[in-house]
Amino acid sequence: MPRRASLFSMFHRRLLLLCGAGAVVFGGLTAQLLRLSVLEGAEHRAEAESQLRRTIYLPTWRGRILDRHGRVLAADVPSYDICVPYPVITGAWIDEQALREAKERTGGDWNEMDDEDRAVAIAAERPAFETLTGTLWRLIRTYGDFDDAALLERRDAIRSEVQRLAAHVHDAQRRAWQEKRSDGSLVGARAFRPEPIREQVIAHVLLPRVDDEVAFAFQRLALLREGLVEVRDSTERDRPHMVQTVVLPRAGLPGPMASDQPLRLTVEGVADHLLGTVRREVWKEDIDRRPFTKKDGRIDLGGYRDVDRVGSSGLEAAFEAHLRGTRGMIVEHRATGARRRVAPVPGGDLQLSIDIALQARVQAILSHEYGLTVVQPWHRNQVLSTGWPLNGAAVVMEIATGEILAAVSMPTLATAQHATELRRAIDGADVNRPFAGIYPPGSILKPLTLWAGVESGAHDLDAIVECRGHFHPNQADRLRCWIYRDDFAYATHGPLGAEEAIARSCNIYFYTVGDELGAPRLLSWLRRFGLGARPDVGLARAIVVDGEPAIAGESAGTVDDEARVAALPAVEQRNAALLHAIGQGSLTWTPVQAATTYALLARGGAPVQPVLVVNDPRPPRPRPDPVPMRATLHRTILEGLRRSVEERIGTGHHITFGEGAARSEAPILEVRGVTVSAKTGTAQAPAMMADLDGDGAHEKGEYVTGVDHAWFVGLVGPRGAAPLYVVAVVIEYGGSGGRVSGPVANEIIRALQDEGYLPGGAT
Amino acid sequence: MSGFAAPYTASDLHERSRALHRPRVLLANPGWVCVGAALLLSLLGALAIATTEPGYAQRHLVHLAVALLGAACVTVPHFRRLRDLSWPFTILVLGLLLFLLVPSVPEVLVRPRNGARRWINLVVIDFQPSELAKIAYVVVLAGYLRYRSSYRRLRGLLVPLALTFVPVGLILVEPDLGTAMLFLPALFAILVAAGARLKHLVLVAAIGVAAAPTMYPLLRAHQKARIRAMAAQLVGDDSYRRDIGFQGAQARTLIGAGGLLGTGREHAAELIRFNHLPEEHNDMIFAVVCCRWGFAGAALLWALFAAFGAGAMLVAAQAKDPFARLVAVGLVTMIVAQMVVNTGMTLGLLPITGMTLPFVSAGGSSLVATWLMVGLLLNLGLRRPPYMTRESFDFDGGDEA
Repeated sequence: MPRRASLFSMFHRRLLLLCGAGAVVFGGLTAQLLRLSVLEGAEHRAEAESQLRRTIYLPTWRGRILDRHGRVLAADVPSYDICVPYPVITGAWIDEQALREAKERTGGDWNEMDDEDRAVAIAAERPAFETLTGTLWRLIRTYGDFDDAALLERRDAIRSEVQRLAAHVHDAQRRAWQEKRSDGSLVGARAFRPEPIREQVIAHVLLPRVDDEVAFAFQRLALLREGLVEVRDSTERDRPHMVQTVVLPRAGLPGPMASDQPLRLTVEGVADHLLGTVRREVWKEDIDRRPFTKKDGRIDLGGYRDVDRVGSSGLEAAFEAHLRGTRGMIVEHRATGARRRVAPVPGGDLQLSIDIALQARVQAILSHEYGLTVVQPWHRNQVLSTGWPLNGAAVVMEIATGEILAAVSMPTLATAQHATELRRAIDGADVNRPFAGIYPPGSILKPLTLWAGVESGAHDLDAIVECRGHFHPNQADRLRCWIYRDDFAYATHGPLGAEEAIARSCNIYFYTVGDELGAPRLLSWLRRFGLGARPDVGLARAIVVDGEPAIAGESAGTVDDEARVAALPAVEQRNAALLHAIGQGSLTWTPVQAATTYALLARGGAPVQPVLVVNDPRPPRPRPDPVPMRATLHRTILEGLRRSVEERIGTGHHITFGEGAARSEAPILEVRGVTVSAKTGTAQAPAMMADLDGDGAHEKGEYVTGVDHAWFVGLVGPRGAAPLYVVAVVIEYGGSGGRVSGPVANEIIRALQDEGYLPGGAT
Repeated sequence: MSGFAAPYTASDLHERSRALHRPRVLLANPGWVCVGAALLLSLLGALAIATTEPGYAQRHLVHLAVALLGAACVTVPHFRRLRDLSWPFTILVLGLLLFLLVPSVPEVLVRPRNGARRWINLVVIDFQPSELAKIAYVVVLAGYLRYRSSYRRLRGLLVPLALTFVPVGLILVEPDLGTAMLFLPALFAILVAAGARLKHLVLVAAIGVAAAPTMYPLLRAHQKARIRAMAAQLVGDDSYRRDIGFQGAQARTLIGAGGLLGTGREHAAELIRFNHLPEEHNDMIFAVVCCRWGFAGAALLWALFAAFGAGAMLVAAQAKDPFARLVAVGLVTMIVAQMVVNTGMTLGLLPITGMTLPFVSAGGSSLVATWLMVGLLLNLGLRRPPYMTRESFDFDGGDEA
């Protein structure tokens, strides 16, 4: 039957169908074009634009670290590695470049040329590249002290090594591919294609460690043609004062150790805890912190790239941002040859308050070779045997400024390197003890207890307290004075004023003051003196421990929370007050905090902050408030400290050698021309981790108990004048503060004289 | 529908049969739309080529002049005269295709490029017989189908398919996979227009698609690699970027770099040069258009092609001669399919094959051959008999499947 239903004939409908199909195809094309040019346009634009420029990054250099006299402690020594890409080494580069150049020169004609014409065109381009590589090899021979044969041999060695590696990797790749194919996870019949291994693409070092001038010659060559040679920054951090030889006198050493022969000692790792280290490796967290290529594709010249160096500990890490510097760059516009240069900005210098010569001497004094820090018979160490090596720390601080002249941690990182893993763990060698080692203060806290008692009004400076050996009249077995024991035939100090109580370090006197104060008030005064607050000299840096943010490098010590203590039952609260009054209990501080509080004391309460970095680039720290201290109290405490070392009754006065008839004694401090006011401390220490059975491992229960940390803190100045420096020494598990740390402090004072800080030195 | 509307008288019949043979030129016809669009595309091509290769742009204009002359030559005689020449012409083209494959032909005449024997050197111009084969094929197929209805049966499709595989086979062995593949859309379009049953065509296409993977091993190594590279980049695998996928990757980068409005001539030239886009004046000219004029440029280019296609479709729609109808559909499909394959491969939707963008790419024989098609289309538009010479391509049961 005839059909006239449709407006169009069948043919016309079919044409419309074809048009429709065409429209669908157009739609598909348009969608893809929109994707490329609009959705991904910026990305592609950047990618295409990047080919127009060639960028060479210029290395910067890290700022130097200087000591207080401008001696360079750490500085970059510029050095470069001359690296030649693998294709240049094999010679394949010449062919690649000639082919590329020939294609570029002939333009569209290339495709219309046959193999012969192409070969001719390529051959015409080769000489230029042969000349370039020729120049490269000549330069390498000249600067690298290679002859022709040796250079060829070196190239062959690299080539055969890389080929060996490649064969190995390609074998593995092929096996993996076959496995994938057999288990069907390979989609499509993709043939095996060996991926070039990294070594076949990268440049290999042919001339390591060349200087500026040589590097410049190669850099010019590198600018002539991309991919010919790379000049890679291999700058090293030089630390010229890390190892020093020190001559120490031995005439003033206690009794049996004294000798007319000075001791020549080589010390390693001088200030290594302070300076810290720089690593050549860039970690993910560095790049996350400040990436070289930002998320939006822009370049941050100060950001981290794979080839950078990063401060990884000590000041190098803590002041990384200041020391690091910003690299420069040369951007060459390939079409015009125009260059834009951004000069590198070197990192800032750090000047320390440390005197590196004094630091080395103090380290030598604390070294085991010198003898004061191994257990001696006259130490009367009741647990550790003679010859046992002791660790410790010493700080020298200028009272007027808080500047730290020396801060030694023993062992140093360098000395610990010789030790076993176990030894390092027991020693806690990574801890920079002056700043991060925390110790109970022991008796060196006593003057502060008096200060708190008098200024708070709780204690009368003129009051007399009678020492009967124990604090509670009816309890002779606890809260005793240190003198009330078997060795001293249960002696007592009798009635005491403040000055003598300090000189004799009478526990009963300070229990009494603590009892009058009460724990909360005592603790809040201790905070005013700076306990429990991180001095923030610049070593502190944020780290992450088990996913939790933490601070490493500097400790605040520990002071109980007043509110918590105030909430304790009366008996416990009273006991806390008594224990804290003599520097025990849960109280700890660092040697630097000890030195700083003694400086505060010497200054009569005028505030002072410890300083390690003289030109600290950080915003200034908030200045602490002055602490009130009446003149009579100031005089009393200083006098007590002076008598402690100058009078026979003082705890810091003398050492006794031998027993019975062979008994002799010698003063702890024997340096001339100076006045020293000091306090000894023998602080109950936590159990010491050890390897008692000597099986090379520390097991559960292997602890040494009953040994004390030995403190000695002295204020020292020219004879009869106000003190200029604080010397704080702590010897871990050394026992008696006076006998063990006292002689160390004595030698440090002598070192201060010899380095010209105090009158009466040998030089 | 009935072609002869009754009633009619003897004098009517006489008058009509005279009219049927009266030479008649219909100047106002949609063929001119094709000519206009083709001219604009050719000029756009010259501009685009001049971005990086001004010398080639000048040659393009010279070729355009030759091409216009050639187009005029095929426009002037009535297409029936040309139809009568279709078989001798076809035999000539087949001879040339065979000639390319004779191994002993001196290189002066047939110079392989990149291993392919596609070109005959005519001194002033390199000439690809496959370009002429497209025209010969359309003309022969249209001539075969114009009075038949056998293709309404499945078996009737065998002859058209066989006709197709002669040129396709010869071109495949050159090898020139891309050009060979253009014959298939042309075949299907002609069959659709001629009224073949869609379900048959779908069946044939399905068999073809199903059989395609079995043909894959027959492909040359570089063809396989290009297909793999295309598939890889579509799913975001960049591993071919350094070798076989390089050309495609650079093209996509430059297309994207053009953005919405392009980068302008100077900058586009720099970008193309330093991104090392191969064949930029030729097969990759679409990337140049996109880089220089951005999405807008590509849209203009596609709009011109759409106008060209619409013009050709109108020529077909208005033609009253079945031969003219089918030739118009076949020619426009050849050109538009070539455009789609070229831009599709440049955009990364199809594997890269050596194929020019009609009118726009530099390349003499391609331009001349394409313009011959334009001339033919115009010819078809100019000569429209007032009455149908057959009840054309309308079948009971129609196009439902």
